[in-house]
Amino acid sequence: MILKKDISKRMMIFLGILLIALVILPHVSTLSTTTLFSRIFIMAIYAMSYDILRGYMGFINLGHALFFGSGAYIVGILFNNIGNTVPMFLVAIVITLIYSSIAALIMGKIVFRSKGGGAASVVAGAMTTLALGEIVRHTAERWRDVTMGADGLSFRIPPVFADRTMFYYYALIFLIVMTLILRQFINSPTGRVLMSIRENEQRAEFLGFDTEKYKLIGLQVSGIASGFSGVMFGVMNRFVNTELLTVQQTLNALLITLVGGTGTLYGAIIGSGFVNIVQSQLLNFRRVHPIFERWLLFFGAMYVIVVIFMPKGFMGLYYSITDKRKSKLQNQTIKETSGKTS
Amino acid sequence: MNIFVTLAINGLAQGALLFLLASGLSIILGLMGVVNFTHGTLFIWGGYVYIWVYTLTESFVFAILAAVVVTFIMGMFFERFFVSRVYGNVPAQILITLGLQVIFTELVRVIWGATPLSIGRPDFLAGAWDIGGVVIVHYRIFLIAVGLFIAVGIHLLLNKTKIGMIVRAGVQRPDMVRALGININTYFTMVFAGGAALAGLAGALYAPLVGSMTSTAGMHNQVLAFIVVVVGGMGSFIGSAGGSVLLGLMGSGVAWFAPGLATVANVGLMAIVLAFKPSGLFGLAVKK
Repeated sequence: MILKKDISKRMMIFLGILLIALVILPHVSTLSTTTLFSRIFIMAIYAMSYDILRGYMGFINLGHALFFGSGAYIVGILFNNIGNTVPMFLVAIVITLIYSSIAALIMGKIVFRSKGGGAASVVAGAMTTLALGEIVRHTAERWRDVTMGADGLSFRIPPVFADRTMFYYYALIFLIVMTLILRQFINSPTGRVLMSIRENEQRAEFLGFDTEKYKLIGLQVSGIASGFSGVMFGVMNRFVNTELLTVQQTLNALLITLVGGTGTLYGAIIGSGFVNIVQSQLLNFRRVHPIFERWLLFFGAMYVIVVIFMPKGFMGLYYSITDKRKSKLQNQTIKETSGKTS
Repeated sequence: MNIFVTLAINGLAQGALLFLLASGLSIILGLMGVVNFTHGTLFIWGGYVYIWVYTLTESFVFAILAAVVVTFIMGMFFERFFVSRVYGNVPAQILITLGLQVIFTELVRVIWGATPLSIGRPDFLAGAWDIGGVVIVHYRIFLIAVGLFIAVGIHLLLNKTKIGMIVRAGVQRPDMVRALGININTYFTMVFAGGAALAGLAGALYAPLVGSMTSTAGMHNQVLAFIVVVVGGMGSFIGSAGGSVLLGLMGSGVAWFAPGLATVANVGLMAIVLAFKPSGLFGLAVKK
């Protein structure tokens, strides 16, 4: 929908300042703020992976948490059973890559069967993915020998990741690298085809594209990115439980992309910052009134408010402001030139 | 042999409950094209209101009525203030109903606490018959009877009354119905609230069956109801009845022979139906 391929000079300067600020941040802030920002970075990638589906493919996946949670479980199980070393972390990354692409393939094969688009296929897709996510969650809950069931799995991490400040930098690098990769994907010809499918699947098919294949690729890329963010999330918390596989976890990603703006990719970063900061602030208020412990009440309210009043999110707001300014400038120059000629 | 009779009765009772949930969902989807994710929360509200009123008044009938009335009003509220703003926009509908679902499920936890509330069956339904070694629980028979009664009732309402005629016409061509001078928005609200009341009834009847009510039961049953809708065919009343019975019987069979596979079996059935007959087993041949 909205895609700025070339970043303007002003934007470059802004991003540079932002990067410097983020690099300095852990040295001037408290430990809890540093952890909050690490969380924001990781959740941003998770939400971005979701935005590829929701924003660029128009596909509502209610089982997306299965990639995220499984990534966290994979790294946890490996660290717990084989050893908490850096090579094991790399093995976890490779296994997550394989697992996510296979899971996405299976999910896609089931979901993308009903062709033609329209309301019916969106609905069937949402329900099927919801049920698939539930299967994975059930499996994790039942498979107590490996996953410790509903109690959750806590594990030790390699000493390299133990320092919170260092982990903050890893998370920041992870965010930058993944953003560049996903941006590249969206700007690639494959990404363009995905967008054309979102706009009109039938037409894309008539143009000779095997739409099912492209949708599968999109789902796989999204699943892998989500799995990676799950690995990072697991390492950050040193703990995994089935909470990460629930529908609620999928809804987190959905809310973040909604708040930030769907179909913008970068919106996920803004949304993740907003949602996570609001959440931690609300928890700080709980001494004022216990109602603030009920994060989900505010979470749900945010959903409804965003859908009704701000359907395009923060990025949509930003783009509408810049577009207005641009058209104003254009109008002015037109007036000036017409004034001169007359 | 005995076990099969017991399983069949269990399955039919489960199917009756599912039918109450799924029929509302299916008609709402068919008439308004709304994917309603508030159904699960209406279900647990029905259950909690039932338990609350039942422990206060000790009256089964009164508690059921209270659950139905409360969820009916909630349904009207949801439709009037939220869902009606996003007609025609499927993703927005999913999101807004999901948001309402999250809020109202959390409200249940605020009001009644997160721990499960236990509830017994009313005295006149508590017993069980023992016929030649087959144990038949009264309450399950009661559920099957209620399910049949509601099914026949909805069938008559849809096929023999003017209201039903307008609703059926609305499922096929809402714009045409509007062109004939009928204010279809009122019908939208009524159908949505009616579906909500059916979900509340299902929750109220579910609590005594299981013996307790938790705030997580909503999502689980809603997923089942959605599977029924997909399997039976969206917007088809017969489909949701047939799908409910099929899923109920399959659920009780799987629960007995392979308890770990319950969810897998349901999703597997849905995947097969979607693969070979995407419009559902009893799907209408209507394209919207």
